[in-house]
Amino acid sequence: MKRTIILFVVIVLVLVSIAVWLLGTSGRFNFVDMFQFGVILVVVGFALFLGLKRVGSLKRGEPAEDELSRRILQKTAAISYYISLYMWVFMIYLKDRVTMDTEQLLGTGILAMAVTFGVVWLVISRRGIRNE
Amino acid sequence: MTQDELAQKVNVRRETILFLEKNKYNPSLKLAHDLASLFQVPIEELFIFEEKGEISG
Repeated sequence: MKRTIILFVVIVLVLVSIAVWLLGTSGRFNFVDMFQFGVILVVVGFALFLGLKRVGSLKRGEPAEDELSRRILQKTAAISYYISLYMWVFMIYLKDRVTMDTEQLLGTGILAMAVTFGVVWLVISRRGIRNE
Repeated sequence: MTQDELAQKVNVRRETILFLEKNKYNPSLKLAHDLASLFQVPIEELFIFEEKGEISG
């Protein structure tokens, strides 16, 4: 239950940060800002989906997580880590060839890591874990 | 017994039972033991260890 609450607190914090950012830019958005905003919403939506899934499990009297969900998370984290390493190497390569602020590049990289995690989690959740 | 009821009895999520039935997950020894105890059968009757190292349920 504690982890579920923490998840929802993080979601709220991210949404509040987005709101502060929107107020700060005073309506001046470029394509990269809008794209990042969209991706953030997708990631928050995914986190919300996970949180609601956990709440549903608790309401049914099931544990919020069990051996399968923990193993899926571990495998997801491991694969996401490897993918992210290569992604950051690519971002460093791209840094000198693209006109982008360092902050934007960092933000894009962090978002890409979150998206990678979500996609890998979805794939592993569908395929399952066998013979490990 | 439904998947929900079985999941509650062995303290796992329904999804885990579903994955076991679909052969998408190899259970831990503890879970295999708990399931075998619940059905009052030996573990070998529930889970078959195959030559190539996979466990089928």
